[in-house]
Amino acid sequence: MTLDCCETLSPHEQRIKDRIDGKEDRFRQSHSRAFTILDEFEASRPSIDVERALYFTQSFKETEGQPLVLRWAKALQHIAANITVYIDDHQLLAGRVGKPGRYGILYPELDGDFLDQAVAELPHRVGAPFGITADEVQIVVEEIAPYWKGKTYHEALNAALPPDIHKLTYDDPEGLISRFIVNETSSFRSSIQWVHDYEKVLTRGFGDIRHEAEARLAALDPLSPRDEVEKKPFLQAVVIIADAIVHWAQRHAALAREQALAESDPQRRKELLELAEICEWVPERPARSFQEAVQSQWFTQMFSRLEQKTGTIISNGRMDQYLYPYFKADIERGVLTEDRALELIECMWVGLAQFVDLYISPAGGAFNEGYAHWEAVTIGGQTRDGRDATNELSYLFLKSKREFPLHYPDLAARIHSRSPQRFLWEVAETIKEGSGFPKLINDEEVVPLYVSKGATFEEAYDYAVSGCSEARMPNRDTYTSGGAYVNFAAALEMTLFNGRMLKYGDRPLGLETGDPATFETWEELWEAYKRQQLLFCKAAFTQQHIVCALRARHFAQPMGSALHDLCMKHCLDLHTPQIPDGINLGYFECIGFGTVVDSLAAIKKLVFEDKKVSTTELIEALKTDFEGREPLRRLLRSAPCYGNNDPYADRIALDIDRVFVDYARKYSRELGIHNDIRYVPFTSHVPFGKVVSATPNGRKAFTPLSDGSSASHGADVNGPTAILLSNYETKNHGFRERAARLLNIKFTPKCLEGTEGTRKLVSLIRTFCDLKLWHVQFNVVNRETLLAAQREPEKYRSLIVRIAGYSAYFVDLSPDLQNDLIARTAHDTL
Amino acid sequence: MDMDQPDREESGVVFNIQRYSVHDGQGIRTVVFLKGCPLRCRWCSNPESQGPHPELARNAGRCLGVEICDYCKEICANGALGLPEAGAPVVDRGICRDCMACAATCPAQAMQPYGSVRTARQVLDAVEKDSPFYSRSEGGMTLSGGEPLTQPAFALALLREAARRHVDCAMETCGHVSWTALSRACGLLRELFFDLKVMDPVKHKEQTGVDNRLITDNLRRLLTEFPRLAVRVRTPVIPGVNDSRDDIAAILDFIRPFPHVTYELLPYHRLGAQKYAFLDRDFPMGDARLDNRKFEELRNFAAGNRQAE
Ligand code: SF4
Ligand code: SF4
Repeated sequence: MTLDCCETLSPHEQRIKDRIDGKEDRFRQSHSRAFTILDEFEASRPSIDVERALYFTQSFKETEGQPLVLRWAKALQHIAANITVYIDDHQLLAGRVGKPGRYGILYPELDGDFLDQAVAELPHRVGAPFGITADEVQIVVEEIAPYWKGKTYHEALNAALPPDIHKLTYDDPEGLISRFIVNETSSFRSSIQWVHDYEKVLTRGFGDIRHEAEARLAALDPLSPRDEVEKKPFLQAVVIIADAIVHWAQRHAALAREQALAESDPQRRKELLELAEICEWVPERPARSFQEAVQSQWFTQMFSRLEQKTGTIISNGRMDQYLYPYFKADIERGVLTEDRALELIECMWVGLAQFVDLYISPAGGAFNEGYAHWEAVTIGGQTRDGRDATNELSYLFLKSKREFPLHYPDLAARIHSRSPQRFLWEVAETIKEGSGFPKLINDEEVVPLYVSKGATFEEAYDYAVSGCSEARMPNRDTYTSGGAYVNFAAALEMTLFNGRMLKYGDRPLGLETGDPATFETWEELWEAYKRQQLLFCKAAFTQQHIVCALRARHFAQPMGSALHDLCMKHCLDLHTPQIPDGINLGYFECIGFGTVVDSLAAIKKLVFEDKKVSTTELIEALKTDFEGREPLRRLLRSAPCYGNNDPYADRIALDIDRVFVDYARKYSRELGIHNDIRYVPFTSHVPFGKVVSATPNGRKAFTPLSDGSSASHGADVNGPTAILLSNYETKNHGFRERAARLLNIKFTPKCLEGTEGTRKLVSLIRTFCDLKLWHVQFNVVNRETLLAAQREPEKYRSLIVRIAGYSAYFVDLSPDLQNDLIARTAHDTL
Repeated sequence: MDMDQPDREESGVVFNIQRYSVHDGQGIRTVVFLKGCPLRCRWCSNPESQGPHPELARNAGRCLGVEICDYCKEICANGALGLPEAGAPVVDRGICRDCMACAATCPAQAMQPYGSVRTARQVLDAVEKDSPFYSRSEGGMTLSGGEPLTQPAFALALLREAARRHVDCAMETCGHVSWTALSRACGLLRELFFDLKVMDPVKHKEQTGVDNRLITDNLRRLLTEFPRLAVRVRTPVIPGVNDSRDDIAAILDFIRPFPHVTYELLPYHRLGAQKYAFLDRDFPMGDARLDNRKFEELRNFAAGNRQAE
């Protein structure tokens, strides 16, 4: 079949081939500015910039004892006043937060306790190496890390976890090494992915937000202790950060004027003077033009990155909506062309691409390989009153994605039952380009679910895609804690080894549910598994309960809070565990869904029904990783599998999901949040697989688990319709206790060839929408291309592949993950 | 009694049900492959479709080797399975009764059945699963084979049952079938794919084992009697058989009076070759390959010819 699959290259592959052949990119001429900037940093090794960490630490040393939100605002003010400002050559936007090229910044409030060790090791880490200068290492070791020892959130969490939870979370007493069983993710980010209400900045400006805070300060009840202790510092913090971001913008304006003076090229001089004028105006005041709107948004999101580490990046929200009024007005006034608008947003994309979300802890790094980033730009969807929201900008973003070969931004298209055919058609054409964009999020699932969780229709219709697959309502959501990542394949292993895992020796980590050889019926085994699964659920929820309470003592985000209606209303920082009227959309993560389903199906069928295999034989085989038992391994693999729309496997999957939603329904309430089940690991099915020995679905020991709600590798043999239907069949639709499900489907270009191919992809997307599945993303690439890229990484530097919610350069991935990607089923039809 | 019951319980031999088929016909389709074919085309890429009954496939490449696997060691009651020292067992096709006992036990799918008996109800239940996709893409079920009408009662039961469930139907046929069956099927189809390989009756007999008289008669008659049925006439272009302009011109001449017919050339491919080995048969085409340029030329020729009408 190779013969046939190779016939058609996706446009993305064709462009890589052209590049190898030394041909100029066919879109270079029409996107010359973005290409020029891209040339300067693409494939460069990211470096670490320590300024943010340094100024943050300096300020914190000065403000001990003050309210946290105030300390945070003052630290940002100190950073804004001192951090080096840059304006890149050719750039039309200002506002990077680190040195030229690809860069990352540090957040010692998170990991300052081991930052000194980590920075020294960093350059050697396989997968994502970052550069750091000797001088900067010295600053970290001498000026930054020492202050934070004993003060970080990570240390506090490590100390707070009860022993039975701790042993499922960490492998060492210091909590530096993950167990990869019930993992916490709250210590490598201050907040989960988030979306600000950018529209507020564009329409009001920080000046007006400052005025509001000042007016509220003046109106505080002078005799009220709560106003004095809580509201006053909050409002003061808002004033300070409004000043800080404006000051930071003004410094860019001054720099632009300075550069303009020295500039000999009159065209560039003009650009710099315009930029200066713009930075003098926004983000303090409402934007007056498309360019000002883009610049104001950019300042806001970059300043937000200085404020805190939002796990895997701050998202861009519904960009085609909040930028549209400016776009439309400028086009009507004749001061903007589509090409110019494209140039401006592409200046933002290349800016995004230079910021790397550093994961300096080994665990964080393992979670997010290949410089993970999910700065989702949402397009399409519905308006607040439930009408189609697609506009000319939506199409412009798609066009940019087709023509400018960059895996930034993470483009997300909201699909609903009345999405216009043109929108779906262009979405399909863009997917066919082969870079994996856009990913699709389904309004028909998200909107009713969010309404059932307490949102108004207006709020739910206005959700923005956030991070890899989440949906946020920027003025109603109030939940920011990183959720637990739970390895349910480990629960299965504990079922089979009476509470133990081969990797972790003879000490029981889970429940001792009995020797499985004594189980006479499938029901006994299922009950044992269920108990382990529930124990893990309990561990996840317990962890989360502690996390929620603890974080507010360590983190604040005055700017993020200033942009949130409810935070402003109640004068509470967004990190506050409970904010009145807020909806806490939390989640816990199921890792290894397909692996567990297939394993249980194999046991049920082969051990208990067909009696082809005895439990003892099975356990022996698992212990020895099927050494000398290949026939048995094959037999196990032939059992029904999830992802094939096979009722046998899907029923087990549904039962597993039911255990989750039942538990969540009952115990979320205790936490005061919606802690719902999510099937979206990042790339974590790889590290989590590394602790799980051989599984009864024939998976070899310590190899990757299945990812998201996708099938086990190579197990889905009935094609994409069966994958989608399996996903549908395994959801407990009567419950609201579900969060996102991430689903990958891989196509070879041949499958989608021509107009017919597009038409059929569009109809597939329509049915995806009908089925109310949360998310789907498509990889359009040939297996051969991936193999070639592995052989000759140099030539395939720009090969972009989609992994669990984001796209990355294939050659940036570790060999492990590359193999994993290659192993996924390619759906070609013949 | 339920009038439709007989259709649902009608059974036949099916060798594959393939979902998400997007290369043939309208929309997203499920192709149901029925076993049995009156022709023996030398280039056939589905040799497993030819015989009417389930057949054992033996894929030596998948076999784990008798030296490490003993699952099929004593399974064959007919003594058809020969066990070498190492490697895959050998099937004595003269004795093998295709009972599939070995296939049922093989953990590696080295032994597999080509074909199994299913009822129309079972088939349509499987086909109907993708109904949400058909309604969006205007897809449906395609009957293929083999020649679906070698099992006329079953094929018609499938088509009627599909109609009851409002599943749109297409069918592929080689045309060498009874007019009664074909005309009944046509009344239930939205689209028919009709293979027309060679116009010269002698050559046709030589290459496919049968005269083409019935085929051309059937085609002419159905184009006349079912003028509203979408018909796509297809010619697989086979190296050394019909890859000349004259061959194609003769076919074009034949369909000239019927301008509503769509005509399509399909390139010969060797992807079925390994299935001959699975059946312990020789692939009659050997290493023959189709010259790509030649095919493109013929395709242009045919397209130009049809357009000129
Ligand atoms: S199909 Fe039956 S008869 Fe043929 S080799 Fe297998 S077991 Fe023997
Ligand atoms: S059972 Fe299958 S894999 Fe095992 S020796 Fe027989 S044919 Fe080979």
